[in-house]
Amino acid sequence: MNVFEIIGLIILSFALIVNLFLVFLVYLRNPASATHKLFTFLGISLSIWLVIFYISSQPTSRDILWWMKFSLFFATLMSAALYLFASVLPKNTMILKRQHIISFTVITVVVMGLTLTQFVFERVEYINNAPNPVAAPGIIIFLFYVLLTNFYALIVLYKKYKAASGLIKNQLSLIMIGVLVMHGLLITTITLPVALFNQSPFISLVPIYTLIFILLTAYSILRHRFLDIRLIVARAVAYVFLLLFIGVGYIAFLFDLAILINRDKPNRQTVQGLIVPAIIALLFAISFQPLRRFFEKITNKFLYKDKYDPNTLLWDLSRIMASTLSLAELSKKILEKLQGAIKINYGAIVLTRHSSIIWVGGAGNTSNRPFKGKDIYELIHASNKSQNEKENILIFEELSESKTKNIMREHNITVVLPLIVRKELIGGILLGEKSSGEIYSSEDIDLLKIFAPEVAVAVKNSLSYEEIKRFNITLEEEVKRATERLRKANTKLKELDNLKDEFVSIASHELRTPMTAVKSYLWMAINQPGQTLKNQLKKYLEISYSSTERLIRLVNDMLMVSRIERNKIELKLETINVCDIVKMVYDELKISADEKHIDFKLLGCETNRYNIKADKEKLREVFQNIVGNALKFTPEKGKITINLKMSGQNKVATTITDTGPGIPKEDMSKLFQKFSRIEYSYAKHSSMPGTGLGLYISKQIVGLHNGDITVESEVDVGTTFSVLLPIVSTDRR
Amino acid sequence: MADQKTQSTKKILVVEDEEYIRDLYVQILQKEGYLVDAATDGEEAYMKISKKEYDLILLDIILPKIDGLQVLEKLRKEAKKISAPVVLLTNLSQEVVVAKAMDYGVRGYMVKSDLTPSDILTEVRGYLNGEHVRTQLK
Repeated sequence: MNVFEIIGLIILSFALIVNLFLVFLVYLRNPASATHKLFTFLGISLSIWLVIFYISSQPTSRDILWWMKFSLFFATLMSAALYLFASVLPKNTMILKRQHIISFTVITVVVMGLTLTQFVFERVEYINNAPNPVAAPGIIIFLFYVLLTNFYALIVLYKKYKAASGLIKNQLSLIMIGVLVMHGLLITTITLPVALFNQSPFISLVPIYTLIFILLTAYSILRHRFLDIRLIVARAVAYVFLLLFIGVGYIAFLFDLAILINRDKPNRQTVQGLIVPAIIALLFAISFQPLRRFFEKITNKFLYKDKYDPNTLLWDLSRIMASTLSLAELSKKILEKLQGAIKINYGAIVLTRHSSIIWVGGAGNTSNRPFKGKDIYELIHASNKSQNEKENILIFEELSESKTKNIMREHNITVVLPLIVRKELIGGILLGEKSSGEIYSSEDIDLLKIFAPEVAVAVKNSLSYEEIKRFNITLEEEVKRATERLRKANTKLKELDNLKDEFVSIASHELRTPMTAVKSYLWMAINQPGQTLKNQLKKYLEISYSSTERLIRLVNDMLMVSRIERNKIELKLETINVCDIVKMVYDELKISADEKHIDFKLLGCETNRYNIKADKEKLREVFQNIVGNALKFTPEKGKITINLKMSGQNKVATTITDTGPGIPKEDMSKLFQKFSRIEYSYAKHSSMPGTGLGLYISKQIVGLHNGDITVESEVDVGTTFSVLLPIVSTDRR
Repeated sequence: MADQKTQSTKKILVVEDEEYIRDLYVQILQKEGYLVDAATDGEEAYMKISKKEYDLILLDIILPKIDGLQVLEKLRKEAKKISAPVVLLTNLSQEVVVAKAMDYGVRGYMVKSDLTPSDILTEVRGYLNGEHVRTQLK
């Protein structure tokens, strides 16, 4: 065996191993699929053919004619397999008609049988020691069959390639390239040289040609992230280079050194002769790792052009999610980032609630994409409990034919990830295919799986935020409406209030008019000059007169209460000495006090001035009322003292102390109420009843002056009213 | 009684729609020696004020035909000079109305029901002498 024979054998063995490995890989991936089955069939027949072809090309083989006949036999089978494979790809079911298969099988079997007869290869001639078959006319049938099937397979592939899109187009193009390369190389390096020169130096490379085809086809079928063939290829190429580099370098170095050493000392196999190569070997060993990295880097550059750094991408995505709460912005930015990094042609975030879609945010090429809400919801729902129980993800390539897969195909969706927050499905991420036609790598999928739950949380937060925003808007609207209602009600109330105001004014006017007549004429009757009335009559008239007076006071008080309660009181403020007001009241009532022999005193005004800001007239009425009450309730020969003094830093207290019957504790709280009529006082002093409004009005008026009225009382001892008013300044005369 | 003669020359217009009250005021004022004229509604009051001269006008507010305020308004619009001081003598206590009346130059404001006939005479004397201006509101 020479070197070429050894290399040929190595190549064959390598090709066989790889072929069979790939074939079984494909088969195991989906044993039920017709495409996978046919590929297995193709791969196995090809492998057998390779072995037989190798044997038949060895000049030392025995029964070489038979090996050559077998070679054609399996070449026929191989062509048939290719034809079937091309017809069925990429379907999982046998789509050819029954008659078609039967007739094709019959023809194939006939041709195969023919190859074993004398009509194809008659005998073997040895030219230059190389075995060479002598063809018979039957070879035309064989060639015709092989050409036809292969040609037809190519046409079918091309048609499918034209009609297909995206991933499938990519697959088909790879398979076509495989077929073309294989045939092209076979024709140019084997068939032509053999036909022309009866020999070819490339015969031993035939397994490599087939290997290219098998490799490309297997890759296009599998295209699976768990077996990233691209990675295997990349690594394999890197290693081959490494091996070559080290091997060649090592051998060359060793060889040169040996010669060098031997030339100096031709007859001595010295220790040096062993040490130097050992050191060099060591150097190579050390340089292995850096070299390997170097080659890997180069191969990666060629095979992984669009590679992104998942860590950077995840970091960027996290930043996007942290940067905004607006759902639309969030979805747009995330999808755009994903599109940019993974190169996806379409992406959407869909939110669902109670089996219906409530929100969709898409990015990328959305044209020609049907969007059936029900289907999309089904997809998202399916992704949540996807067939692959461990993972919540749907990947088109990994799904067996099902309704879900059909929906994905129809919508051009490749990956579906559910969005789940606290075990609740809130929506999904839909991703289209990569613009390159590549499948999603395991790296892509890993990234998406890490990233989907984060998106879910971010989206949920966004949703809550939007809900709050919406709620706020509704609330604002509600408040606006309520305010409007209140405003209307208020306007109405104001109108009513004005009406009431007018009513009270008119009513009091109407009441006062007859009362004026009654009062005036009674007065005239009593004060008729030059006429003396009978005592009895005069008494009757006086009672009538005072009752009329009381009635008028009542009307006046009610008018005042009405005004106070509608805040219609306007104080005519002026700076005034409280003493002046109190003195006025004191002087006015002194006569009545004297009539009752009451000890009536005013203290505290002798030397002091207590300047306040007040409505003189209204305050005078207050004191009139309180002192008047004291006079009314204090029995004859009693005592009433009015005393003015400072109360605290900035208030003047006017206390009116009487020796009246006092007010029991339980009545104190009623004192300043409207129409408060304290029981005993009514019974005892029914001859001089008030209106029951006086203290209420007084308290309100003092309140308007930022002051207060307080009362202390002890039954059978007396009562002290204190009127507290804020002071402007005090002078001592 | 000492200055009865000077009082007798004074002319007073009483504008009052209520018969009994009008009679009363006319009666007590005449008794006091004044020349008293009376008007029973706003229009009559307007006619009299614009044609005759008075020393004092006691004007009610709520009156038939046109009210006291409208009388004042009309007079002001026609730029008629009112020779006499006008004092509101009424039972209406509406601050808005009083404030408006004050704008028209009313001298004072009295609430009928609060005053006895003798109070009225005192007030009238005061106004005629230009002494006091009492605009107490009750």
